[in-house]
Amino acid sequence: MKILGIDTSSVSASTAVVEDGKVLAESFINVKLTHSETMMPMLEAMLKDARLSLAEIDAFAVTNGPGSFTGLRIGIAAVKGLAFAQDKPCFGVSTMEALAYNLAGVSGVVVPAMDARCQQVYTAAFCAGPDGLVRLEEDCAISLEELGGKLEQFVPRGPVFFVGDGGELCYNKFHNRGGVFLPPPHLRYARAACVCMAAQKLSPEPAASLVPRYLRLPQAERELLQKQKSKGEDR
Amino acid sequence: MKTFVTHTAEETEALAQRLAQKLCGGEVIAYFGGLGMGKTTFTRGLARGLGWDGEVSSPTFALVHEYRSRPPLYHFDMYRVTSFDDLYSTGFFDYLETGGILAIEWSENIESALPEGCVRVSFRRLGDEEREITVEGIEL
Repeated sequence: MKILGIDTSSVSASTAVVEDGKVLAESFINVKLTHSETMMPMLEAMLKDARLSLAEIDAFAVTNGPGSFTGLRIGIAAVKGLAFAQDKPCFGVSTMEALAYNLAGVSGVVVPAMDARCQQVYTAAFCAGPDGLVRLEEDCAISLEELGGKLEQFVPRGPVFFVGDGGELCYNKFHNRGGVFLPPPHLRYARAACVCMAAQKLSPEPAASLVPRYLRLPQAERELLQKQKSKGEDR
Repeated sequence: MKTFVTHTAEETEALAQRLAQKLCGGEVIAYFGGLGMGKTTFTRGLARGLGWDGEVSSPTFALVHEYRSRPPLYHFDMYRVTSFDDLYSTGFFDYLETGGILAIEWSENIESALPEGCVRVSFRRLGDEEREITVEGIEL
């Protein structure tokens, strides 16, 4: 089965086609360009270069969150359109799980982390081993401080590897405690091939039911502002 | 921190054009000061200074206007943004990653989410046309 995967959940964009565990094609860009403008041409060029056509794709996979507000909408809208037009099923893949797939073969704990700003991260945890990934923690949006507490439970299980665009942030914050590692950059970002690999284990769903899974940030509860005093006076 | 007094909208635009010359992309320009202070006029000056000669208007209803200058300028109005969820769903955090310049009206509303090192521009009304404009966070 050929799965076409797309990731635009963060600052990078990536597309891939995987057939029964074999990566047939993959593209990746991380140059701060707008996904809405770059992703479709990249996908088209990749398919053309690999002599693949949309008609031969059996299913479409996309990272459905957590992640960037606009980025998730771009990826999901694209996959919805492609799958609907081809009348093929979709897979919504957790961005965290896709990130963890970068290190699926190592032995240790993989902690994906995306920078959600204001000292917050989207994160999860997976135990990686010879049989692949076993989930330890559900996807969540927490403060860096809270992640620090969770690390206490992970470190005794083996080396802890940070992946994701917030990996470096976490590593810099926590490396003094030991037992945590930062893989090289080419293994840290969300790759569409990983999205396809993770999708292989999921149940397909129709394009219409695919929705972004935004996670509520802890700061959402807090007031942003100083506004109350200034607002009464103006407007 | 430096304070300027402008006497006409043209002078406010000219001051913003001077600021534009100091920007190279990735900066956040946070405006403080109420309605009718010249924030949109100031932003027009920024856009002109960055080489955009199209329309510049207040994004009160659209939340953000994009001007295809170089670097691109993203003009936000946070007047109706009252929660962190609102802010997230404007795409604000995504725009911070683009390398463009963000100009933000009603920064008062998102004070705690403004990135460190942002440029603060405060407006004070002195007369019908006269404004006192204070620029912090960059040398003008």
